[in-house]
Amino acid sequence: MTVSDLEMSALSPDSRQVVMHEGVCVLVCNTGGTHYAIENRCTHQDTPLHEGRIRNGLISCPLHGVRFDLKTGEPRGDLTRIPVRTFAVEQTGDRLRVQIDQMRSS
Amino acid sequence: MSKTLKPGEARAPGHTYQEAIAKDASQPPEAFLDYSYEFLGDQDIPYSHYTSHEFAQSEMEQLWPRVWQMACREEHIPEPGDYQVYDIGHLSAIVTRTESMQIKAYVNACMHRGTALKPPGDNGYCQAFRCPFHGWVYSLDGELLELPEDWDFPHVGAGSHSLREILVDTWAGFVFVNFDREAESLTEFLGVLPDHFRDFDIANRRIETHVCKRLPVNWKAAEEAFMEAYHVKETHAGGRDFSEPVTTYDVYPKNVNRFIHTVGSVNPRMPTAPSEQELMRALWGRRGPADGDCPTVPEGSTARDVYAEVIKKSLGEQYDMDFSQYSTAQTLDSIEYFVFPNFFIFPGLSLPMVYRFRPDPKDPDYSYFDLYFLRPSEPGSSQPPPEPMMLDVKDSYTLAEGLGFLGAVYDQDTDNMAAQTRGFKTCAKGGQTLGNYQEVRIRHLHQRIKEYMEN
Repeated sequence: MTVSDLEMSALSPDSRQVVMHEGVCVLVCNTGGTHYAIENRCTHQDTPLHEGRIRNGLISCPLHGVRFDLKTGEPRGDLTRIPVRTFAVEQTGDRLRVQIDQMRSS
Repeated sequence: MSKTLKPGEARAPGHTYQEAIAKDASQPPEAFLDYSYEFLGDQDIPYSHYTSHEFAQSEMEQLWPRVWQMACREEHIPEPGDYQVYDIGHLSAIVTRTESMQIKAYVNACMHRGTALKPPGDNGYCQAFRCPFHGWVYSLDGELLELPEDWDFPHVGAGSHSLREILVDTWAGFVFVNFDREAESLTEFLGVLPDHFRDFDIANRRIETHVCKRLPVNWKAAEEAFMEAYHVKETHAGGRDFSEPVTTYDVYPKNVNRFIHTVGSVNPRMPTAPSEQELMRALWGRRGPADGDCPTVPEGSTARDVYAEVIKKSLGEQYDMDFSQYSTAQTLDSIEYFVFPNFFIFPGLSLPMVYRFRPDPKDPDYSYFDLYFLRPSEPGSSQPPPEPMMLDVKDSYTLAEGLGFLGAVYDQDTDNMAAQTRGFKTCAKGGQTLGNYQEVRIRHLHQRIKEYMEN
């Protein structure tokens, strides 16, 4: 398994940023003071997720509304059964280290 | 068995609920003092109305498409593009907030080949309603916006193929829908409810807890389990003497009924009335040592009034709000209003529940029960509602966070349900026998169903 670190600044509360890292489009979000990182791609019909609304730790895909748990990647509803990839985020002061697991790349 | 009264004369012995709360130091809302009991007959209710697939099918055709039903709270859809799916039997509606902040509801089906646009029970956000099958796109206002390969559809346009709108309206922060576009208004349907709730700011309450449980009983029998306090003594108190609460049962045209029962007042059937301090100790028994010593009831005061002040203060601190304007009855009592066919609301301060029951469309022996706790909040609070916790038939309510001691109480109610379903099928008598007074709300439910089935 290859893990490649994405280093970036911490985000202000309730903001988000899309970062390309070694071929993976990563969506990093700060929601309620906690940072999450997921692949910016809906597993239902391959759409970017970054314009989706976030509530209760779930992001809604703006296309058909499929929701994914930002922590686990698990989908809600029955439009897809495939989880979105999630990446571990470590925060040190105002810096973030996002561990992109390349082996799990789809 | 004691001598019963003639039909229509029956009332519980001793003082009434209305007489009991007249002794409170604070004035209860006017509606609490009202009596509105009416004898509605004493015929048995056929068991087939609970067990028959044909009867359930008739309900699905005659009842559910024609009544107002609570689909969600406004806080489920605070911003444009937020949506909530409401499913009832084979019918499904999408409730949404448009760009102009209007609430609208549509039949949850694409106008192309009928694909449901959203999954059952779903909520979330989307910029437009886009069918996942061929990509027909509808605006939040329901208008057909995009038609891929439109050269092939000269017969299709926004006029003919926009989403089918259904009736939607709000009351006290609840969003109601009605699939019948010719139906009476929600205001007319709710009858006395808005007037009876004048002294409660339900619009500014927010969902604190939401549990959705599958129940092993027909939806009507599930509702009936919560429509009377007659079961309290056996189901919740093991038959303990003098554990029956002092309760009023009232029926209002056409769709509303209620019970209200006291908490912490004297049971008039006791041979010797307990002292106010004894009543206070009984009330305080529910609280743990962390809450301190049981208060002393001053001369001339009552346990109810002292306990209500304690509750108002502790909830006030917990929610950072002022509840001083709530009367003792509003603070303590179990105040349960029902709106036909499937909505219950408790506006009281310490028992703040909302219930919604729905049939299982595939099996009349099962139903779904949404249980919400609504807590007061500051006007304009943007706290999103929690995700519902799903419980299956065998799951205990005590697994759900936020129900406190009531989790075990709901389990006791549920234990009766599977037994009732089995009994419906073996009981040779053919129907449920009801008490004339304490079970009048059940009769009211069946009377309304009959009216929908026959018209």
